[in-house]
Amino acid sequence: MRLLIDLAIAILIAAVVGFGSAVIVLDRDRLFGAVTRGEWTAWPDSGSANADPYTEAMLARSGEVPLGSGEGLAFTAEADRNGARLSGRCSYRIVGQTPAARLWTLTAYDGDGHLMENPANRTGFHSREILRREDGSFVIQVSPHVEPGNWLPVETDRALRLVLRIYDTPLTSGGVGDAILPSIERVSCS
Amino acid sequence: MIRGLLFALGGLILGGIIHIVVILLVPDFADRDAWTSMGRFGPDGAFHVLPMSEPGTEPLPYLDPRMATAVCRFSLENGPIRIKADMPDDFWSIAVFNRRGSNVYSLNDRTAERSDIDLVIATPVQLVQLRENPIPALEQSIVIEVPISRGFALIRAFVADPTLLPGAEAALRAANCSADVKAPAPPPAPAPTVEPDTDAP
Repeated sequence: MRLLIDLAIAILIAAVVGFGSAVIVLDRDRLFGAVTRGEWTAWPDSGSANADPYTEAMLARSGEVPLGSGEGLAFTAEADRNGARLSGRCSYRIVGQTPAARLWTLTAYDGDGHLMENPANRTGFHSREILRREDGSFVIQVSPHVEPGNWLPVETDRALRLVLRIYDTPLTSGGVGDAILPSIERVSCS
Repeated sequence: MIRGLLFALGGLILGGIIHIVVILLVPDFADRDAWTSMGRFGPDGAFHVLPMSEPGTEPLPYLDPRMATAVCRFSLENGPIRIKADMPDDFWSIAVFNRRGSNVYSLNDRTAERSDIDLVIATPVQLVQLRENPIPALEQSIVIEVPISRGFALIRAFVADPTLLPGAEAALRAANCSADVKAPAPPPAPAPTVEPDTDAP
């Protein structure tokens, strides 16, 4: 009898620890292989044949199709330069330059990973339509209110996620190295 | 007391094993993974153009809304497959994934150094057979070896401007995921394909 109780307890512990830890790990962001530069994080391994099992499991659960290393690299930002989480209630300026690439796109998502709904029907910018300063750098205004220049409208009270996809870039073969990415500065919050 | 602790320790170790098994098996049992989602768009063995990602209606999560996308699920069980497509001049890329959704190959228009896609996907065994009996029609093709039996290919084509969308979508609709492996590319070649002693690489 005592043996049965002990066995039952052991199996319960095994089930709780095993399944619980798997769920907790998979609900968080991808664990391994993250490369962070400033506010931006990329997972170069997720687009290669040697993705780790956690990344594979996360991709299978989300249904996401990662960019292959021969296609490009996606950087995600969820916080501004000071580390505060991006929020749809705030306005931001994305300032600077992007790493060498043939093409890039910047897209705004909500916290659940859906495209940002907005009346202007603009969910992002790409590198050829953006207005630049004379030195080639750019400023993108992420804001619920109309802004001059490159305005990326957002309409949410909740979290915000920005994805910068860089296509045909040496970063995927030569490593991210000290790539310089634009910084995200908070302007104001309502 | 010590007995109980030993059982608890055993439970923890077993829990660790369960954790590893769960993580490894999730891709095979997931029901919302990319492979399963793509089954909604049409039968296997053909490219299906996905609707452009709009707020509220994303065909797959985190697709670039500025890219037109086509997907094809394929199987290599009946021999190698050949993907052919005439692409627009602007940026495009193609990526090959295994059944579990891991990328096994990818290429863009600049690394391909050509404006059309002519890709032959073969298993290692099929590639050996292709090398022994080269098919003249595949001389211009990019032949890749992937250790998978099933998988999917995804083509992305950049749409710089909404006016260019019809052209990109037409190119993707015309993409062929089960092109005849033995069919000649530009000039007509003799029908029999077994030609020993040609220039094997």
